[in-house]
Amino acid sequence: MHDPLTAAGAAEHRRILADSVADFTARGTDIARVRRLRGTSTEYDRTVWKKMAELGWLGILVPERYGGLGLGLSEMAIVARQLARALTPEPLTGAAVLAAGALVKSDNESLKREHLPRLAGGEMLPTLAWQEDAGALDPAVIRTWAIPFEGGYKLRGVKRFIAGAAQADAFLVTAQAAEGMVLLWVPRETAGARLGLDPLADGRSFGTLELKDALVPRAHVAASGAAAAAALARALDHAAVIAGAELLGVMERALEMSLDYLRTRVQFGKPIGAFQALQHRAVDLYIHKELAAAVLEEALAALDGGANAATRAVLASRVKARCSDAALRITREAIQLHGAIGFTDEYDAGLYLKRALTLAAWLGHATWHRRRHARLTLAATASV
Amino acid sequence: MSRPLAAPDYNAMSNEDFRREVRAFFEAEYPQQLRYILHRARWHEMKDWWRKLYDKGWIAPNWPGEWGGMALDAGKMVIYLEELERHGVARAPDQGITQVGPLIMRFGTEAQQQHYLPRTRSGEYIWCQGYSEPNAGSDLASLQTAAVLEGDHFVVNGQKIWTTLADDATHIYLLARTDKAAKKQQGISFLLVDLKTPGITLRPIRNLAGHDEFCEVFFDNVKVPRANLVGALHDGWSVAKALLSFERLGIGSPRRPQYALRRLEMVARAKGLLDDSGFVDRFIALKLDMEDGAALYGRFVEQVKRGEPLGQDVSMLKIWTMEAWQRLAELLVEAGAEQGVIAGVHDVAGVETDFLNPYYYSRPATIYGGSSEIQRNILAKYVLKLPS
Repeated sequence: MHDPLTAAGAAEHRRILADSVADFTARGTDIARVRRLRGTSTEYDRTVWKKMAELGWLGILVPERYGGLGLGLSEMAIVARQLARALTPEPLTGAAVLAAGALVKSDNESLKREHLPRLAGGEMLPTLAWQEDAGALDPAVIRTWAIPFEGGYKLRGVKRFIAGAAQADAFLVTAQAAEGMVLLWVPRETAGARLGLDPLADGRSFGTLELKDALVPRAHVAASGAAAAAALARALDHAAVIAGAELLGVMERALEMSLDYLRTRVQFGKPIGAFQALQHRAVDLYIHKELAAAVLEEALAALDGGANAATRAVLASRVKARCSDAALRITREAIQLHGAIGFTDEYDAGLYLKRALTLAAWLGHATWHRRRHARLTLAATASV
Repeated sequence: MSRPLAAPDYNAMSNEDFRREVRAFFEAEYPQQLRYILHRARWHEMKDWWRKLYDKGWIAPNWPGEWGGMALDAGKMVIYLEELERHGVARAPDQGITQVGPLIMRFGTEAQQQHYLPRTRSGEYIWCQGYSEPNAGSDLASLQTAAVLEGDHFVVNGQKIWTTLADDATHIYLLARTDKAAKKQQGISFLLVDLKTPGITLRPIRNLAGHDEFCEVFFDNVKVPRANLVGALHDGWSVAKALLSFERLGIGSPRRPQYALRRLEMVARAKGLLDDSGFVDRFIALKLDMEDGAALYGRFVEQVKRGEPLGQDVSMLKIWTMEAWQRLAELLVEAGAEQGVIAGVHDVAGVETDFLNPYYYSRPATIYGGSSEIQRNILAKYVLKLPS
């Protein structure tokens, strides 16, 4: 970690970071590029990914001894939020939070020394392949089997809903072994591993990884048993929070677009933003955005302050639930407030709605997270 | 009444020490039977507690030391209020301390300060607020109660309404029209009036909860000395406006709805509703509405603690918290089913609950202190900068 910073110093550093991401999106990526890439098999751009690495962002959560910056979720949230405002399609959360987080907390030192510096450097893009069924988000429920074979494993199963899979170089795969859960490093070109892509609402894709006796050597076991489960749970919570930051960026930009439209679109001889019915709707959207920002801010402070695993889970669910609902509401209303133009593909409002849709569904939608929150918090107070 | 000796410098204490001292005093001295009461506390209930706070030098936490206050800075003030709420201390008829006292300090004459401030602090003078009128609610500046200057006094005629606890008060602070020709806000003056003055009649109004908490106040040729004018003649609007944003932070506090939230969870547990996934989905959404609202509140509190003024955006807090309170209160009644509409406190599956009280008292929460619709107008205009 860096030297301890004063609160004012930290705020200043974060402001500079936000400015640098905003500068990057202004020059390095635009909506035209987002439109070009949507629906393609490449999905995102590895040269842009490399630039993001050069700016240090991919290594924010990677400890310094593995070539990263060793910063916190607060910094990662700033980058994710700003990039999402520009609908950047690169899989920051999937690779640099979810996969990176799981690998950082793994206990295979040589695997970490080999791959984490390259991940932070943008040369190696891994993603996490853990989920198997839609709406089933318990990482311990696994039907992919790791069968002992020649000192390593043979993998059999299907992993789905893998974000960032299109140009991933490797997958961190969870599987059930005789000794419990294992987290395995599976390079993309592994024999017996076949990747398919399902197109998503926002022009990106979920990968489906079919594993038919894919061979994994002993040296590629990243973690097993309780260590693997803990690494995975932590990475999933952190990714839910950073997905919340992305949702915040999406809703902020969609709200700005809507407010600009309300100020400039003239009907009945005046800007439609002068009509109270629309003003009050806009205010409600603004309140939802501010709530989402407040919850995210509170959660980030607690998580970077060292919250325990139970608190972390509760906070992650709060963030994902609030940010998902708020982003969906704001982007939906953006279409209505824009009228017919909002329903055209040519206008950008729809791109924000579609990104909100995919981010809200990924890693558990709002209702799923509220139910998880209920399980965690109502059970905890039941005995009191 | 002499000015008190200088109070201890509470602001020099650490936050933790200050909180501990405040908490210990409240826990030791506040009457147990008045904790978390559901109605608006009356003066006869609160006067002993007022006296204790007065003797301790704590009745006016927001006032400067020279007027016998605790002179708390914003950060300590927030702690003081948090501890009041935490212990369930009822709000006394305190508008003299929170509202008119600070306005007299800022806009009043030396003679007004010398006369009113010590008596307000001691509880000899209890104040109520005379702003709203039958035809001036959200559009307060259209008020018509007239004060006509005749020599050394005003003659006041008109009617005020929704005057909270007027029948407990000794004095009323009044917005009255002193210039009928001037446009709206410009012809209004701020007057201090003794409620014993001839020509004043009170009529209590019973509210939905069955309590007589507010009144109509009628003025029939009431003579008010010119010396009771606060601020310049016709400039009462700017006097009254000087207080509003801190009030909206207080109104938006997430602690108000805590009774409904706690009871709802207890009732749900007792009745086995937590096994009903339909109920749990609604309950947890509301619980998170409250928790997330508290996060939003926390941001404004931090702003106050840093000594920064609150902007118009604080309006969102009142909208969100009060509307969430209403949704909670609605679910509480629903959770009670047929028992939910039985009046008063009663036992449901071992939990003593008043189902209807939060339902009733959350209704005016989106009306008083600027209705939710007025708050939305404010946000649209000043924060979102939408055209008009």
